[in-house]
Parts: sequence; structure tokens; C-alpha cells
Amino acid sequence: MKVSRRGALLAGGLGLGAAAGGGYLAATHDKPEPVSPASTNAQGHLLWRNWSGVQHAYPAARLAPKDEAELGLAMKTALAPIRPVGAGHSFTGLATTNGTLLSLDAMSGVIGWEGDAAIVRAGTRLGALGPALAERGRAMANLPDINKQSLAGALGTATHGTGATLQAMHGDVTGLRLVTSEGRVIDCDADREPEIFQAARVSLGALGVITQVRLRTTANRRLERHVWVESFEDSLAQAEARWAKHRNFEFYAVPFTGLAANISHDETDKPALARGPDQDSAFLDALKGLRNLLGFATPLRKAAAHALLSSAEPETAIDEGWKLLSTERPVRFNEMEFHLPAEVQLKALAEVVATIEKHRPDVFFPIEVRRIAPDDAWLSPFQGEPRGSIAVHTHYKDEFAFLYTLIEPIFRRYGGRPHWGKLHSVQGDQLAALYPRWKDFLKVRAELDPRGRMLNPYLKGLFGV
Amino acid sequence: MIRRLVAFALLTGLAACGKLIPPAPTPEQALILRPADSRVAGLYAESCMACHALPASGAPLIHDRKAWDPRWKQGEAVLLDHTIQGFRAMPAGGQCATCAPDDFKAIIRFMAGREDSAT
Repeated sequence: MKVSRRGALLAGGLGLGAAAGGGYLAATHDKPEPVSPASTNAQGHLLWRNWSGVQHAYPAARLAPKDEAELGLAMKTALAPIRPVGAGHSFTGLATTNGTLLSLDAMSGVIGWEGDAAIVRAGTRLGALGPALAERGRAMANLPDINKQSLAGALGTATHGTGATLQAMHGDVTGLRLVTSEGRVIDCDADREPEIFQAARVSLGALGVITQVRLRTTANRRLERHVWVESFEDSLAQAEARWAKHRNFEFYAVPFTGLAANISHDETDKPALARGPDQDSAFLDALKGLRNLLGFATPLRKAAAHALLSSAEPETAIDEGWKLLSTERPVRFNEMEFHLPAEVQLKALAEVVATIEKHRPDVFFPIEVRRIAPDDAWLSPFQGEPRGSIAVHTHYKDEFAFLYTLIEPIFRRYGGRPHWGKLHSVQGDQLAALYPRWKDFLKVRAELDPRGRMLNPYLKGLFGV
Repeated sequence: MIRRLVAFALLTGLAACGKLIPPAPTPEQALILRPADSRVAGLYAESCMACHALPASGAPLIHDRKAWDPRWKQGEAVLLDHTIQGFRAMPAGGQCATCAPDDFKAIIRFMAGREDSAT
């Protein structure tokens, strides 16, 4: 996909469309900035918002402890609810609190090694983890497609990349340290406090604050990245074979185009080949332009998109994995992602795309489709079997309530488990039906946080407590 | 001689208009630059730097006066409000959960390549 050429084609095509009289529609479809909450509340507390802007709170206190002693004292005395926060990339209310917002930004970095396992402080941002591991010739086996998150936030929400043989990030955690709301410091792994370990690997910041983890790493290999566009039907037909063939494979179904963008990564010893400037924003702007100009006539929109995008040239890059697997996401969005049994993933995807094209002509963001290997963390959405994820995005200025009314029912009908950091409305007994160890997790939670100091209203609803 | 006079006149004219705008840092330089205050530097390194030191992010690069000067002209109050609220691609708080307003102001001044307050 030679994006610059594609961008030029799109710009030219859209310019013609505007000249033909589409400008009025473009103007009416470009939405204003969403209404913002006040920068401070009546008590003078400063606003906190998540990355996309849909969650907000006015924490009475914001703390950034420098070590576990300072953290332990804060956990016992700080105003509840105490909610740990990283980069604020979750779309749900996990971090919202008018009590204490607790950041681990002052507890970051790789602080030691046990063989090839890195001891990493949990406040480390993923973007900083890659170069730190690379200094020793090591890397994370996989990474999510965004690397702004903190390690604790990514682990707590079961953040993942893609690859049929690759687990989500928490699959590489072989031990961790947890500071509870009572100030207790617990070191756990598969042998020491194994129940707490299995509960804590994916724990939504609800058991306490994870301060450091022991992280399995892999050799820092170069990967060869390929990006190409083809028909959505071809991508559907080839997806399983590609997940079997490639180290990492994902594709983006682009609604209202009949096309899909495919991305694969495989290990290589070839010399580095520069990736070139990221053109995702221009691509999204072009898709938005097509929506604005031709959203009223789906056949016309599909024909225009096909004419402009289907001849895009493939793109290749070679570099160390930590430089390629994550990309910049300068366009903010809201997102719902569910993890479905692998065998129904593509069937569900086809239904999601058809539903959007039938009911929501305002959608233009590509739909991300990934595969994740199983693990055994109690609240891992990938617990017990491989799962296929489908992520539906909406521009941050666009309405997203339809995700709950149109898309979530499809995901749930196919047995989907929600991404813990992304929009969903699944709660309590519904989650108990999806997770065999749900009640065990709640028991550990009650033991570690008996006064419920880690629980904000969102988590109380989620856990049904 | 005339050329020298013209060059001198041009230089003094430029000086009268204000200081020369320094060039933007290279991507390598952008990754190294930090605010002078060590605490503010720590806040910056854990949050704002993730985008503002990477040209590919689309955010205005630190010390890139060509990118920052139009923003700087909006005044400190506007820049601070955009930072707290989030604005376009910019997430609220620049993903710094523990930054106070004065911290944001200091980081904005650093990123904009300015020592003085915005007016």
C-alpha cells in the first residue's frame, strides 16, 4: 500500500467530488469538538479525562509515589476510591475517581534481569520498554498496535497484539509484586501465592497496585513487515491460512469499500529497510472525506473507494520488532473490541460489517481483526482457548452509542468476551458465565481489598458488588 | 562595498524585527532534550515526550518554533486549557496524570522553545 500515492489519488478524487457539488455535504458532516467538561470542579479539583475524552473525573488527590514504601503508606491513608492510572488509554471508567488518582510514572524502567527475564517497574510506558530491552538484545515477543500505555495498564486490561502463536502481554509475566490497599506487599508467581498470581496477571487495577513484574523476553529480531490491500472477500478467505503462516498477521476491514488492508510480520535476517512516514492519518482523512461526500449513497461510495484504493501498491519495511509492531495513532477514536472463539470470528466479522453498512453510513474507521494465543490467567479474555478479536472504532467526534445497541449484541451472541479497557456493557453474572474462575477472582479481590478502597462505581457495577 | 552595506542593512533590519528563529531539532536531538527542572523533566519524559519528541506522531516537535509560534501566539491560558481538556489529536493532560497546571505551563514553555511566558 503506497500510501502517499494513495493519499494523492484520494485527494484528487475528493477534490473532484467537492467541485461537483459535494462541498455542502462535507461541511455538514464535519462535526464540532465534543462538549468539554469544566477544567475544574466546584471544589477546585483539576479535570482528568481519558485519551479519547469520553471518561472524566475530578480527583481530590493525585499521587505519584517513588517507591513501594511511599506507595504502601498512600494505599492505607489516601482518600478512596484509589484508582491507578497509566496513560489513560482505556475507554471504560476503570481509572475514574473523585478520590485519589495514583500514577506510577515515578516508578518506571528496567531495574534488573534474571537470565533473559527482565524485572520491569510497572509504570514503564511501552514506548520506552522497547529501547530499554533492546539495549540488552532482547524484546517483548509481541506488542499492541499502540505503545503509549503504561505496562501496568496494558497488563491490567489484557492488552494484546496479534499472532496465532503469540499470547497477550500478560502471558509473558512470570512473576509480579503487588501492594494492596492495606499496604501489604506481595511477591507472587506460579509457586509463591499462585492463586493471587493467576488473579493478578489481569486484574483491572482492582487487587491493589502492581509495582513491578518479571517479564519473559525474546531475542530482539528484525521483522519484515508487509502491508497490502485486496478485496474484503479475499481477506476473509485467506485469513486462517495467513494466521497459520505468519508470525504476526492482522487485517482491517474497511466498511463501505469492499476492501481490506492486510499486515503481516515475519522474522528475517535481511538488512533494515526504512518504513517511511506514517500516512494513517491521511488515509483516515480520505475515508472520512468519502463518508462526508458520498455517505448518502452507499453504492456510489463503494465505487469511488474501490476506484481510488484498490490499486494501492504494497508496502514493505524491515526493522527490529519493537519499532514496527506499534504505530502512531494521531487520530483519536472510541472503540469496542470483543474477543471471540476463533472458529466464529470471521463469521461474526462478516455480520458486523454487513450491519454497519446497512445501518451506520457515518462509520468510516477500518475494523481491526486479530488473533491471540490462549493463556491461563483467570480474567484473561484468552483464557483456555485461542480467541479472535474484532475492534470497531468511531472517530472521537462521532456518535458511538450504536456500538452498544448494534454491535455488542453480535459479539455476545457469538460468545465474545469484552476487552477490559474498551467500551462494553457486560457486567456481573454475565461475566461470570464467560469466565470459569470469575468467583475465585472475586474472592481474592475481597481478601486483598476488604474495605473496597480500590472500587469506584464502575468497578462495583462490573463486579456486581 | 554596496553588497556589504545591503547585507548589513538586512541583518540589522532582521535584528530590529526580533531574534532569528532557531532551526528545529533533528529527531535525534528531540529525543535528548529535557526541561531544565529535573522534576518537570521527569513528568515530561513519562508523558508529553511520547508524542512531542517523535515527528511521526504528528504532534508539534519540541523546540520547533515554526510549528509552535502560531500556537504560542494564542496565549498561555488557551494552551493550558487545550492541554487540560484535550484538543483535536492531543489527549487531555497530555497523558500526564499527576501534572498540575504550573507543570503544564512549564512543559509548554519548554516544548515551545520559549523561556518567557506566552502573551
